Amino acid sequence: MRKDSPRRPFKRVLIANRGEIAVRIARTLREMDIESVAVFSDADSNAVHGQAADLAAPIGPAAASASYLNVSALIAAAKRTGAQAVHPGYGFLSESAVFARAVEEAGLTWIGPSPGTQELLGNKLAARRAVAAAEVPIVPGLMVAVDADDLPGPAAVDYPAMLKAAAGGGGRGMRRVDAPEQLAAALAGARREAAAAFGDPTIYLERLIEPARHVEVQLLGDRHGNLVCLGERDCSIQRRHQKLIEESPSPGVTPAIREELYASARRVAGTVDFQSAATVEFLLDADGSHYFLEMNTRLQVEHGVTELVTGLDLVAWQILVAAGEPLSAAVLEANPRGHAIEVRVYAEDPYAGFHPVAGTVTTWRLPSGPGVRVDEAVRPGVPLTPEYDPLLAKVMTQAPDRPAAVARLRRALDEMLVGGLQTDLGFHRWLVDHPGFASGAYDTGFVASHWGHGPELTAEEAALAALAAQQARLSDEASNGPMPRRSAGAAGSTRPGESAWARLAREEGLRR
Amino acid sequence: MTGPGAGYRTRVGGADGVETEPTSDWTFAWVDRVAGVARLRTGNRAVSVVVEGSGSEWFVTLRGRRIAVSVLSRREQLLAKAALGSRSGTGPVEVTATLPGLIVAVETTEGSDVAAGDPLLTIEAMKMQNEVRAPRAGRVAAIAVAAGQTVGTGQLLLRLE
Repeated sequence: MRKDSPRRPFKRVLIANRGEIAVRIARTLREMDIESVAVFSDADSNAVHGQAADLAAPIGPAAASASYLNVSALIAAAKRTGAQAVHPGYGFLSESAVFARAVEEAGLTWIGPSPGTQELLGNKLAARRAVAAAEVPIVPGLMVAVDADDLPGPAAVDYPAMLKAAAGGGGRGMRRVDAPEQLAAALAGARREAAAAFGDPTIYLERLIEPARHVEVQLLGDRHGNLVCLGERDCSIQRRHQKLIEESPSPGVTPAIREELYASARRVAGTVDFQSAATVEFLLDADGSHYFLEMNTRLQVEHGVTELVTGLDLVAWQILVAAGEPLSAAVLEANPRGHAIEVRVYAEDPYAGFHPVAGTVTTWRLPSGPGVRVDEAVRPGVPLTPEYDPLLAKVMTQAPDRPAAVARLRRALDEMLVGGLQTDLGFHRWLVDHPGFASGAYDTGFVASHWGHGPELTAEEAALAALAAQQARLSDEASNGPMPRRSAGAAGSTRPGESAWARLAREEGLRR
Repeated sequence: MTGPGAGYRTRVGGADGVETEPTSDWTFAWVDRVAGVARLRTGNRAVSVVVEGSGSEWFVTLRGRRIAVSVLSRREQLLAKAALGSRSGTGPVEVTATLPGLIVAVETTEGSDVAAGDPLLTIEAMKMQNEVRAPRAGRVAAIAVAAGQTVGTGQLLLRLE
């Protein structure tokens, strides 16, 4: 039993998600002595997250629309397994007011901000109006949707500008517009993308803030009016408007800026009857002025960074708050300490525009040791499921200060060995050595301006790869082919010149 | 490079890649083929890499970057060169022997239409049967050799147009 929780709030909780976040939630449930129920699609019948939970319930075909986005299948699974509450994780239905309401109407507890909050802040254009009314700075631009048949005139907004989807998220439905005459074509593309991704083609128009940092404030609130800001995260290292790295605190945020961000975040939360965990995202321009972007009414992918600097378990507090517990004094007075960084390991080729890569993870060696946290749910040898997000793992490091956290991240990345496909680890390993990252003076344009398609292979790298491959082939030939060994001697090495029979005999000898 | 690797040539970027001499500044410590991990050393520094593959085709993942490497024996080099050298062009193509050997089978006839990759004839060399395939689609204009005949490197085998 947790020391900071006076009673076990639920007997059994269903996790309406998959992959690493489902595993991460199951871990907290176990620590709280709450039984966990995983759900899985036909494609995930053997997946790691199903085995991380106490119970697992099938919810339908591989396509997310038929399983992880299927409200009735999820509610039925919760009823069938006797779950008392539902945690939605992030993505999928985590910001769906429809799902949150369906959970509550089924007599279950929704672990997250209320359906009313989801409705008010889920639409970005509506949220923009609401927070502007609460005197939170917003990006200059239009307060109404862009009408395809009656385009705003050239003076309506400063160019370059940005088209954004009202129902948006994850960078989809976004288009940069450099001049008014590009607006019509960009709008058509943005509408198509938004309709396909969210079922809602509504688009709005803002001035482009550039250069800018993407900084977000973590909020935690309870049902008794308590609200705490748990530091900020800098998510400026992005590709396709999607985050690759997050760190806390932000290298670009001074104590004075932090106070302003906190004040704005509290005002945003004040526009709704806020409880549970949420994030308020801002753009920070070169002058340190901030502009509201959106509020994410759910746990974020990068919540672990905040957990590392605060020592709090955000999922545990979401659960306690959902059960009506007040935030403890320790939470309300939490003071982030030290520095934490997260890198997202995706099955993507950073040398080919970060395009998703299909395939099977073979070698899967994870970093560990002091100050390292890895959240993942990869099963090596099993082909990746193309239906779902290509996130393989989140590698986080924590240290007393930023240089130490970066050094620790470099060490962790060197320990992490992934085979079978290209991942974005090559980008991350390059990044930790880049002076622009080391200095902390980076912005959202960093990947586009400094990485492109990555550096050319150096002569030394090529010669090292040649050495490793040539020696591996020689090793195979010395042992009559790449015969898999069950037991491994000193690091499992093949002794030069040793035949397979000799090795087998040696291993037999070891076994006796 | 001398020593045990002397018989092999390495191409970084795969069979079409750049011929690369394995570094002599670093030494190879060990490989665990089951785990797919190898360790390389230089002075008092060391690095672990992922090594996967077999025969001539390998992938080495170095500091997160997955690099295709071909490790070719002399015979494989000749075959790779032949495959590479005959891939382009649209005019008449002379298919020549890339290695000395014995013609054991002729699998096409004069006047036949062939597609790229179709087997044309088989040369036995170094106790291996090596299929010679059509470098591109075309018609077999002339066959210059017959089964049972010994050929030398560079000798004309057949002409495609």
